[in-house]
Amino acid sequence: MNFFRAFPPGFLLVAMPAMALAQVTVEGRVALPKTASAPVLNQRYEIVSKGGIVATNPPLAVVFLAGDFPKPATQPVTQLVQKELTFIPALLPVQIGTRVEFPNLDDQYHNIFSYSPAKRFDLGRYRPDERPIPSQTFDVAGLVTLRCDIHEHMRGVVLVLDTPHFVMTDATGNFRLTGLPPGRYLLRAWLDSKTTKEHAVELKDGATLRVDFP
Amino acid sequence: MRSNSRTAPRCASTSPDPVTLSPEPLPSRSTGFRTKLLVAMMLVVSAVTGLGLFIAERNLAAGVERNLEREFQAELAALNQAQAIRSASLEERCRALVRKPRIHASLEDDALDRLYPSAQDELRDIMARSNEHVGAGLHARFYRFLDRNGGVVEPPENARDAGALTSAETKSLALPRLSDQPQLGYLPPSDGGTLTEIITTPIFSTEHGEVIAALVLGFKPLVGETAGPGGTKRALWLAETTYSTPFGSSQATASAADVMRAVATPLRVFIHDVPHLLFSKHLNPASLYPSVYEVCVYPLTDLIDRQWTLRWQALGAGALVFFVGLVVSHFFSRRLSAPVEKLAVDSAENRAQRVRAEAALEHTHEELQRSARFSADASHQLKTPVTVLRAGLEELLARENLTSEECQQLSALVHQTYRLSSVIEDLLLLSRMDAGRLKLDFSAVDLSQLIEASLDDLSAVPDATELAVETDFPAALHISGEKRYTSLILQNLLENARKYNLPGGRVRVAARTEGQQVILAVANTGRPIPGAAQSHIFERFHRGGMGENVPGYGLGLNLARELARLHGGDLRLARSDETWTEFEVSFRLASV
Repeated sequence: MNFFRAFPPGFLLVAMPAMALAQVTVEGRVALPKTASAPVLNQRYEIVSKGGIVATNPPLAVVFLAGDFPKPATQPVTQLVQKELTFIPALLPVQIGTRVEFPNLDDQYHNIFSYSPAKRFDLGRYRPDERPIPSQTFDVAGLVTLRCDIHEHMRGVVLVLDTPHFVMTDATGNFRLTGLPPGRYLLRAWLDSKTTKEHAVELKDGATLRVDFP
Repeated sequence: MRSNSRTAPRCASTSPDPVTLSPEPLPSRSTGFRTKLLVAMMLVVSAVTGLGLFIAERNLAAGVERNLEREFQAELAALNQAQAIRSASLEERCRALVRKPRIHASLEDDALDRLYPSAQDELRDIMARSNEHVGAGLHARFYRFLDRNGGVVEPPENARDAGALTSAETKSLALPRLSDQPQLGYLPPSDGGTLTEIITTPIFSTEHGEVIAALVLGFKPLVGETAGPGGTKRALWLAETTYSTPFGSSQATASAADVMRAVATPLRVFIHDVPHLLFSKHLNPASLYPSVYEVCVYPLTDLIDRQWTLRWQALGAGALVFFVGLVVSHFFSRRLSAPVEKLAVDSAENRAQRVRAEAALEHTHEELQRSARFSADASHQLKTPVTVLRAGLEELLARENLTSEECQQLSALVHQTYRLSSVIEDLLLLSRMDAGRLKLDFSAVDLSQLIEASLDDLSAVPDATELAVETDFPAALHISGEKRYTSLILQNLLENARKYNLPGGRVRVAARTEGQQVILAVANTGRPIPGAAQSHIFERFHRGGMGENVPGYGLGLNLARELARLHGGDLRLARSDETWTEFEVSFRLASV
């Protein structure tokens, strides 16, 4: 556990498959809401709000393990880029305390701001060559809706989670969460801003648990 | 014209002698006609002129009014267009404003506290600077947000730029519900200033597309109490709050009902006893805010002046037309009455002539009667002496001591008395016919029988035996007549045929039916009647240049013709040439 704390969550996400053998693994499938749009290759994910519910389209879920985990020793840093007038990724799950950098990869101004209660900020207008890259640290768990003051259609979501153990499902809803500490927890699946499913799990050392969210 | 009344009594007096008819009444009668014609033409001219004036006046007045109205409408349309462009531009600006991400973020991301501060930044351009005069431009006087229920979201204490509003004004911004269409309304001023135009633009959620709030912007309206070109006055009229901007004193006479009615069609109202045209336009027909009308009044003094001018012009033209009409009708009545006058004179002359002719005729008739009476009397008076003479001569002839020479002379004298009495008989008959005293007693007469009898008589005459007689007539041919006289006709014709025949000549008697007529033809051979004599052969005592060797005294044909006419037919010479001389007599077929 301490070993993992030494790594930032971004690194953790990347490193986890390699260390899966020594840790508990949870895998399963989240039943994603059906989408009307036909599946295409290289489909972009975008944030859509329908009936006041923020979700991605096509649907994706974030599966995370809720529990009391110690804070990371060093501040995790990750990036959410603005490219071709969209946020990439559209949905970014981060652990509390993560600093998110917002590089502008378009050749025009962007002005990212959020009025969400979880995080209010306004980065002001900046160009691609702005240095240092404008960033924000997310200290409160919750959903932060990102908007651009210049491009009213742009929408991004930062899902601030109070856990280092989270993963995004693939397009079919399959997930695999590795490197988990043994113990009793609640495994949650965030589907949209109004829907979060949960499942009580007991993780045993070295075992692989299968959990499906119907 | 006046001569008519002067000569009228003369016209009434008729001359006792129709032959010496006075020519004096003629001019009076024709003058009367001329006067009547003139009066009639004048009446027609007056009627036509009057009608023309009436129509012209109506059309001209209506035309002027229509023109004026069109002018006014055009003027109004131009202003309305300017207004429409302005309000379209304002609405577009408002729509752009409510799309601002910060405002959306404030409303959608539970950050109402950020609403007015965000709006302050976003609406900076549209808000009028506090230190500059708020013109009727595109700058707003205030802004407010309505929540999803239509209530006003009060700005925080420290919100600058949102614009000050009294609580009453704030209250009247609220809507019972939010609409998805921009709403146009007007705020009555709290301090007696001008109205404020408010545009409420719905804010649609980017999440679910529903109206979640609305932005209210207050502008100084373009329409004030401005006087447009042509003296048009415009003002706004807030129906439900009965607010009227100062408008002269028009609101005193232009009632609410007037304004409502003037929306459809222009209305005439009186302001300070001056007629005005009142137009009104509903500015916010589909709005949830109280209805506001733009009221325009147009003084009609100019129109009335123009109409009066036109009326006078029309009247002048009418008078001219009337005068010309009078002159023309006078001229025409003279021209037209000339032939009538001539006709009147001619007819008077004709009448005088006729009267004269009638008198002459009467005179002639009397003469004729007198002569007929005379010849009848004479015949009667002659008959007796001739009979006495013949009786005396026959008595002398009966004596035995006469020489043959004396006897021959006496015989000739007796023969002459027969001839004389025959002439007297014929003359008596003719005179009776001339006097119209001979009336036939019509009955069916068998003409065939009559012909046969007459031919028998003819054959008894000594020198007739040499004549060859041809006949061609059907049996039992009945005509209408009196046998005595029919027979006389036939005898006269046969007598002629015998007398004027060649020695050993021929006589032909034929009869045929033609429709309701029976034609009897009696022809003989002999010398033809010369053409010049043919027209005279029916005259009395005409003997057609025949030698004295032919017995007769020229009464036979005349008598036969008169009798034929009495029978309802006629006698004519059908032909007279080297072969035949033929007479044709027509009778009426007896209706058996």
